[in-house]
Amino acid sequence: MSINTEEMNLQERVNLIESMIAEGRRTAESWGWTFVLWGIAYYVAIFWAAWSVRPWSWPAQLFGGNHWAWPITMLSAVALTMVIGLRGGRGKPNTGAGRAVSSIWSAMGVSMLLLFPALSIAGKIDHHSFIAIVAAFLGTANGACGVILKWRAELLTALVWWISSVLVCFGTEKQIMTIFLIAIFLSQIVFGVYAMVSEARARRQEGNHA
Amino acid sequence: MPELPELNPVVHGKLRLALLSLLAGVEEAEFTWLRLKTGASDGNLGAQLLKLEEAGYVAVEKKFVERKPQSLYRMTETGREALTEYVRALKLLLGGAMG
Repeated sequence: MSINTEEMNLQERVNLIESMIAEGRRTAESWGWTFVLWGIAYYVAIFWAAWSVRPWSWPAQLFGGNHWAWPITMLSAVALTMVIGLRGGRGKPNTGAGRAVSSIWSAMGVSMLLLFPALSIAGKIDHHSFIAIVAAFLGTANGACGVILKWRAELLTALVWWISSVLVCFGTEKQIMTIFLIAIFLSQIVFGVYAMVSEARARRQEGNHA
Repeated sequence: MPELPELNPVVHGKLRLALLSLLAGVEEAEFTWLRLKTGASDGNLGAQLLKLEEAGYVAVEKKFVERKPQSLYRMTETGREALTEYVRALKLLLGGAMG
């Protein structure tokens, strides 16, 4: 074998290693749908709670109505996320980044599911603090995941949540509700749809390379 | 002239090298995912994975999920060292060839 052929053969091996490592890391995990699902869940909980009191005065009544609206909607969203996640994750490999992201959201979910019922039962929460805490939690989780995944768009959603958590400390009932609804729309629905489109595009490219 | 290193023959096989590289990027992977990524046949893939397993470069965990057999492969520390050493040798050889 000539030196050139030998060298080409070795270069092929280097290319193979690089492409396969990248292939392994290019996780086929999809996160976009979870953002949309949870965005819808927040809207359902908000409007369910409001509707059960007086639909014509929703801004002031969003959290004062049906006390079961939030727990039931949130637990249903948890169950749906787990079922869809388990079905979609079948056959896909586990990555360090994937585990880190999942653990952040799971830990945040547990914190919320424990904290809010306790605060509510103790009577130590109002609309302002509720939205501020939710927004701060979501900002933290999105910020951490954005850094792990090196995803600027997710860092932007974290910024939206952090700004919202500060703003809601100062607004009126109607203003804080508007801020919350807009933040959900931008950070959950718009970002979720954007993520789904990006993931579909990446999968198509992956299919073309295979 | 310094002596050029020899390439580890277990790692050097194209499919085995692809498998080790794939497993280097993930924590563990199913047989079906490895088949999808490499495009290898079941028989060839199984044979190459067995060679890697015998060399101690990959570890396999076989279990049943919803009554279906599942084989999960992960790279061992020895495998990671072997791949690192192989890449180092490859770089030296390429550097020697180019120089």
